Amino acid sequence: MTRLQMLSFFCVLALGALTLSAAPLPAPAQAQSAAQTAEQSTQTPETGAEENSKESGEKVFNAQTTKLANGLQIVVVSNHRAPVVTHMVWYKVGAADEIPGKSGIAHFMEHLMFKGSEVIGGDDLKPGEFSEIIRALGGQDNAFTAQDYTAYFQSISKDHLERVMRMEAGRMRHMTLPPDEVLSERQVILEERRQRTDNDPRGRFAEQMEAAAFPNNPYGTPVIGWLHEMEQLTREDAATFHKRWYAPNNAILVVSGDVEAQDVFTLADKIYGSIPARDVPERHRPRSPVFNSLTSVTLEDPSIREPVVQTLYRAPSLRQDPETSYALEVLAEIMGGGPTSRLYRMLVIEKKIATGAGMTYKNPAWDDSEIWISATPTPGQTLGVLETAIKEELRKVVEHGITQIELDDAKTRMQDEAIYARDSLTGPAMVIGSYLASGASLDDVEHWPDRIRQVTIKQVREAAKRYLNPDEPGPHPPVTGYLLPKIDQMQEDGK
Amino acid sequence: MTHTLTETALRSVRLFTLAILALCAALFAPAAQAKEPVLDIQVITSDKGITAWLVEDHSIPVISFQFAFQGAGAALDPENKQGLAQMASNTMDEGAGDLKAQDFQRELRNLVISLGFTASRDHFAGSLKTLSKNKERAFELLKLAVNEPRFDKDPVERMSKANQSRIRSSLSDPDWIAARLMNDVAFAGHPYALNSGGTLSTLNAITPADLKAFHKARLGRNNVMVAVSGDITPEEVRIRLDELFGDLPEASLTPPADLTVQNSGKTFVYERDMPQTLIEIMQPGIDTHDPDYHAAQVMNFILGSSGFGSRLTTEIREKRGLTYGIYSTFYNLDHLFGFTVSTSTKNENVPEMLSLIQKEFQTMLSDNVSKKELEDAKSYLIGSLPLSLTSTDKIAGLLLSLQLNGRLANYLELRENAIESVSVKDVRRVAERILTPENFTTVLVGKPEGLDNATPIKKIPNAE
Repeated sequence: MTRLQMLSFFCVLALGALTLSAAPLPAPAQAQSAAQTAEQSTQTPETGAEENSKESGEKVFNAQTTKLANGLQIVVVSNHRAPVVTHMVWYKVGAADEIPGKSGIAHFMEHLMFKGSEVIGGDDLKPGEFSEIIRALGGQDNAFTAQDYTAYFQSISKDHLERVMRMEAGRMRHMTLPPDEVLSERQVILEERRQRTDNDPRGRFAEQMEAAAFPNNPYGTPVIGWLHEMEQLTREDAATFHKRWYAPNNAILVVSGDVEAQDVFTLADKIYGSIPARDVPERHRPRSPVFNSLTSVTLEDPSIREPVVQTLYRAPSLRQDPETSYALEVLAEIMGGGPTSRLYRMLVIEKKIATGAGMTYKNPAWDDSEIWISATPTPGQTLGVLETAIKEELRKVVEHGITQIELDDAKTRMQDEAIYARDSLTGPAMVIGSYLASGASLDDVEHWPDRIRQVTIKQVREAAKRYLNPDEPGPHPPVTGYLLPKIDQMQEDGK
Repeated sequence: MTHTLTETALRSVRLFTLAILALCAALFAPAAQAKEPVLDIQVITSDKGITAWLVEDHSIPVISFQFAFQGAGAALDPENKQGLAQMASNTMDEGAGDLKAQDFQRELRNLVISLGFTASRDHFAGSLKTLSKNKERAFELLKLAVNEPRFDKDPVERMSKANQSRIRSSLSDPDWIAARLMNDVAFAGHPYALNSGGTLSTLNAITPADLKAFHKARLGRNNVMVAVSGDITPEEVRIRLDELFGDLPEASLTPPADLTVQNSGKTFVYERDMPQTLIEIMQPGIDTHDPDYHAAQVMNFILGSSGFGSRLTTEIREKRGLTYGIYSTFYNLDHLFGFTVSTSTKNENVPEMLSLIQKEFQTMLSDNVSKKELEDAKSYLIGSLPLSLTSTDKIAGLLLSLQLNGRLANYLELRENAIESVSVKDVRRVAERILTPENFTTVLVGKPEGLDNATPIKKIPNAE
């Protein structure tokens, strides 16, 4: 809860991504060079060029991109501040691409990628050795899994980029997976589930809200997986998953830092270029049926002392409907972006019925995106009172839209935020990777400020009317959740 | 309204600032040879004698300006006003000069200026981050917040409620509970044991008058330390220093006593119905200015600070699958040097987990580390430094923490030499000096099975 609520563009990982370990870091060294003959594909860098004359503003990151003959897309963001690089591989596969009954396999797979793999032009890595080598080279590594993507990254001195590439490409090509490692790592992910979800009523609450909001759609299944299915995951499941999805033509390599694009392209061609393309299935995402009754989730737990009301709306993602998506980003900024936003001002400052209130629009996503509205009552206020006040604010924006001043101020802020986005090594790679892996383009990232600048009052109001109208829910009605203290029965009887 | 989860600081420090912690080390190393500096740090002193460290970088139009009032933190809060420093940090940016709370916040938001304050146990800190084009107004607003905070009744009440809400939410968060209990037992009898984030009742007792008194007493031109990085010149910094802090009074603060970890050898359990138990362990650590401090960093890297490859992670997560994460960390305050281990495991595995941790400590005490472990640790501790220098914020943050830890401006070079010179023998010696596996202070939250000597804790102290 930092004060400057970062805009959705810059907190793409805020919701739902699980990391391999809470603290990154990695170790040993054995030299490996070996000339690996790669099929040389000549490629000319495309700069994500954008001919559209409406796109006036400068690009956010000035990234360079190309594609290898085997289909691997490469994006490079040069930043010469410190002699380091972040090297990331994003696979266009996440928990939402799992086969029914195998929930958690995408994330389990991510863990197992550290359990032994090939190296391009070097000796195989033993379990754990990947991270150990990175660490001994003074680098840090980690990985994470979300509904729409799985990513692996290392931040390290630029001198070691080639070595890191040989290792990362090696585990794209083949992982060795000793059977005894699979069982102990399955215990680790079960402990991870306990730590993140089962120990914490708030974690269980969010999981149930998602499940209710996405019937028959994989977003209703948690990234970590359902406990009873996780317990059954096998080595075979992991091997099948790797074979099915981990191909160069289903991946994006993003390198940011103290490098030049052409050098990275050449190096990547030499190393990743040796891995043949494979057929990768289309992403198959079963759709939710049309429902018209409203759903609510109530969780009462004895450890809860502070109730919360949350509403989860489904809304289009950038990939599905760009115009609406940009309008919703602006709307979320006006309604829920920090202490001067509409919801905070009305519920917390003026009516004094809440201690906190906010709204976020999650972006990007392959399928439907999510809007979350939440509020915490001041003592003595019921969740019903908050819910009514929130609906009132939504009705206002549905009926009257936003003002020109609100729109202009929001746009200015969002444009300026984009400048801060450059002030980071890993941040640009995170934004670019998550957008591309979710079906958006590099142009969408680079010209984000322009796209926001083009949003109109009418578009914002239309988006609100269509997706946030409390009186006319669409085909996927929102889910409202109530997290409440469980009143001790004995205590109540005694009253 | 920076609602920092003060009580979870202990755990999150471990998770996110390993590199920085490792840097906050002391030094008794051979004087630095002429080596290219890691960072070009300029030390600037204003006309009124206020000092700042600056790393100039005009490649991005961003300025990060961070500062701390040393010794002005929550440890000085009276017991019946726990949360005073926290409340000041939440309200100093809620209106200043002629600007009321919403006006002040609206200006920050529209100019995309990040301006806020935080209170730790030891220090009261502030930070400003702005685009160069908005810097004039940004520094004006900061000057107002530092010199003329309004502490209006309305925002004070609002922040008090927000803090109380945070506490009630935290009461269902096992991480927070474990950290709260550890602070209470490990620092028993000392101001550090109190709840720096306030309690439900003490927050009610904090008035605008208290906050004004806090501001007057604790924020002085003599106890402020400043760190700046980004698109700004030394000449401008020199002028800003006096504009911002030159009119503050001299602060005269009485620091709390030094302390060592209390309740050693004891295990405390807060029972809660959940499938997994959180484990927090603390024992005495090492002075940041001790000649063995860098050897201790190396030792800790091998033992458990590094995650993958560390002995604790290898033995407990990788080989046995008993946890998702286990880390050891030096936990340093101005008046206490601690060493902690944090992890969690299924309730039935708690006794096994505790004995495995003890065993790894014992091994570190009784056997030499391998040459390879030593070299890998040194290589990481030295080689990863540039990863802490990749953004304007990170650089300013590092400069501030170095100053708060009493380092010299060439510390990063000295540190590199000191780490390079650590030997297997040094690691062994420091392990023998520090590690006390028989005398852990242990806090468990959950429903651990198979423990018979644990003291139950029924009520979370200094929360309500």
